Amino acid sequence: MEIQVEEKEGFYTVTPVGELDVYTVPLFRKVVLKLEGDRRHDIILDLTSLTFLDSSGIGSLIEVYQKVRSAEGNIAFVLDNPRILKLFRLVNLDRVFRIYPNLGKALQAVGVSSGYVDEKFFSDLT
Amino acid sequence: MLADGDRSNDNRLSFDLPCTKKSLARAREKIRRFAVDNGFETQVEDIQLATQEAIKNVIQHACPADNNIRVDLLASGDSIEVEVSDMGMGFDADTVMRRDKAPMAVDGRGFVLMEGLMDTVGVTSDSEGTVVRMEKSRGDGTTGGPEG
Repeated sequence: MEIQVEEKEGFYTVTPVGELDVYTVPLFRKVVLKLEGDRRHDIILDLTSLTFLDSSGIGSLIEVYQKVRSAEGNIAFVLDNPRILKLFRLVNLDRVFRIYPNLGKALQAVGVSSGYVDEKFFSDLT
Repeated sequence: MLADGDRSNDNRLSFDLPCTKKSLARAREKIRRFAVDNGFETQVEDIQLATQEAIKNVIQHACPADNNIRVDLLASGDSIEVEVSDMGMGFDADTVMRRDKAPMAVDGRGFVLMEGLMDTVGVTSDSEGTVVRMEKSRGDGTTGGPEG
């Protein structure tokens, strides 16, 4: 798994690419919890590049959510994969997490708007 | 190509795994091939993840003395049956399957996923080991989950 981290107006977008499961959770925790340790409390978790998620991966997402919330930070999730959404529904996380279908909408929702390009909007025009 | 120790015919596959995390990836690939070969392409991800969760439970909790996990797959008609068994210390199956987990607990969702992804899940466990039996029907590809 690869993890991409990008900062925009104080919000950190974290994008795990590949599988988030019992094998890769330690790396994911290390990266995200380091942001927390550095007091980067506002996080968007972009899960659109996840190809596999198991119960360990779900547990790590909950752990990050709890740490951000306990530090009174903001956290939002980007998710468009029906497979992963199905797993979220099974464990009722769709009722707890703020989930947006693309990064643009998530950034908008948390108040980061500069430099935002709605790629779907423009792709619909072509 | 089956690895040594695999027993298979067209609609049945049995294999043993050592009780280590590396076994999860091996099992997933074997299950994917078996499910696809038997026409369960639509259900393959549900079957893979449910079985992985069952195996993970053994690795994390059962600690079988013989360091061995047995996986049996049977494709018959419109369904796949999966059995994951071990000779570990066992646990109180009723308690584990019916426990009311705190909504935001970090762990303990393996059985929730298994029950959501498969059509039936049953567990028998005693001091001589545990057997998890699951079944997934071919259906229209939407059975067993909230999408259905």
